[in-house]
Amino acid sequence: MTDVAGAPGADSAAPAPEPAAERRRSETLHFARRNPKLLIGSGIVLTLLLIGLIGPFFIDHDPNEYVGPQSQPPNGEYWLGTTSFGQDIWAQFVHGLRSTFLIGVFGGGVAFVIGTAVGFLAGYKGGWVDEVLNMITNVVLVLPALVVLIVAVAYLDARGVLVQGVFIGLTSWPWAARAVRSQTLSLATRDFVDLARLSGRRTWRIITAEVAPNMSSYLVMTFILLFGGSILIAAGLDFIGLGPTNGVSLGLMLENAVAWSALQLGLWWWFIPPGLGITVIVGSLYILNVGLDEVFNPKLREL
Amino acid sequence: MTLRVKDLKVYYQTLRGDVHALDGVSFDLADGEIMGLAGESGCGKSTLSKSLIRLDSRMRHVGGTVELDGENVPIADDEAMVPLRYHEISLIPQYAMSALNPTRKIGRMINELLRSRGVRPGDVADELRRRLELVGLDPEVLDRFPIELSGGMKQRVVMVISTLLNPSLLIADEVTSALDVSTQRSVAESLVEFRDREYVRSMVFVTHDISLVYQMADTIMVMYAGRVAEKAPARAVIEDPRHPYTRMLVSALPEVGSTVSGGRLEGIPGTPPGLLNPPQGCRFRDRCPMAFDRCAEQPPLVEIEPGHWAACWKTGE
Repeated sequence: MTDVAGAPGADSAAPAPEPAAERRRSETLHFARRNPKLLIGSGIVLTLLLIGLIGPFFIDHDPNEYVGPQSQPPNGEYWLGTTSFGQDIWAQFVHGLRSTFLIGVFGGGVAFVIGTAVGFLAGYKGGWVDEVLNMITNVVLVLPALVVLIVAVAYLDARGVLVQGVFIGLTSWPWAARAVRSQTLSLATRDFVDLARLSGRRTWRIITAEVAPNMSSYLVMTFILLFGGSILIAAGLDFIGLGPTNGVSLGLMLENAVAWSALQLGLWWWFIPPGLGITVIVGSLYILNVGLDEVFNPKLREL
Repeated sequence: MTLRVKDLKVYYQTLRGDVHALDGVSFDLADGEIMGLAGESGCGKSTLSKSLIRLDSRMRHVGGTVELDGENVPIADDEAMVPLRYHEISLIPQYAMSALNPTRKIGRMINELLRSRGVRPGDVADELRRRLELVGLDPEVLDRFPIELSGGMKQRVVMVISTLLNPSLLIADEVTSALDVSTQRSVAESLVEFRDREYVRSMVFVTHDISLVYQMADTIMVMYAGRVAEKAPARAVIEDPRHPYTRMLVSALPEVGSTVSGGRLEGIPGTPPGLLNPPQGCRFRDRCPMAFDRCAEQPPLVEIEPGHWAACWKTGE
């Protein structure tokens, strides 16, 4: 077939027609750099993450140690002041951020993996697979998750951040599964999915190549919502005294602040940092998600 | 003989019983033949074209055989059909607009498809470029997302993809119905060109548009209520239709055939029968002006002239 004159690349060593991976990357960067929502959201999240990751290395005492004068407002030595016992709030905040991100990643991650796997399989396979998975989903959905969590967490002797995260993940996946399932149901009837099925590709290949990329922003949003949700559930558990034993978290800080009447005593530097921390993390994750959607969805791109 | 369909019966399963969507369809398709498949909505056109490549979950293969190049096509066995698809039997989907994954660049999508068919993308890269140029597309489209192309461009891309592995049989299911008239023409011309260059051996072109099919097809098969009414060379169907249904269908067309004008166009009174409990005998009997006693018996599909088949008691006379 190389006898057609001037056919491009007829006798050169056939360059793989994989269309320029380089261009794709630079294209994504091009749009990413110009999206204020993405920049602001990821900026805040990364800053807080960095504080949580690096901060504890610069603090040489235990966050729960009584190190300083009691009930000090923020000052040069104790940046966020001290509690009514003389604990360094900055140290607590930094450690708390770390465990908050851990909870988000583990709780959100576990819930995301279970939820999307169940949702994709149920939506794509349909039939009895769908029936069974949907039934399980609905059963878990109507379990009073917080009560189960309280019971489960209360029975554990040593509670770590990871265990708490896994438990949160195991109870918070159903709505993600339902959401992913309904999206998959509508995508699975599209012609291009049908044509991929026609070519006899394996189920997981079709799901990862044809279905998932078309709802990538949806998936990222699901993860971010689960991430934020885990943080909030963990804060709730901490707040009622079921947080990590001997640990520090933003929720535990809030619990202590309330337990020792920081509100009534006007110690605002005790409860505002953890409360604001949780709010800012979850809020900027949402902004980040909107930005990501605009960058990766070619239909939303603006030149 | 490329394709030989014998007494094919495919039913849809419903709660109220089987819908006899294809009830004993027989026809042959020769090498290099482009067959137009025409008929009213619900006559079994789409069911036939789907049956040839894949039955969907509600469709049941009840009887009859399909042979392609002398080999039996296991249409009821989805697994066994996989190796045949794209290599032997290929399909141009109805809506090219939605046939391309919007999140994949076209080149990447084609590569994935080729790999799933066991073909190394590098081996056909040159051929792919050549064919894109043949249909008037810049090979640069490989580096674009589907939304960057117009409807006609997408349709041409899909045509190139469907025929890239040189299938024996190409099924084009209403490929022109979503396009404007001039694009329709270029798409139809490209399909004929593909046949002439032997990218595809033969083609079934499903359409409502008899005037378009008259210009490009070699033969036309008219279906009615799950059966073949008439199959004949395109010219014969338009100029000398034998089956009363074909006659009424052709007389309902404004453009084709002789340029008689002035008279009001006639429609066909009535509607096709429901296929849940199809009537006995000739299924066109209730709407047919020529119906007589014998029509209570099913008329066989007979060859009344070489290459001209019709299923009507009156044609033999």
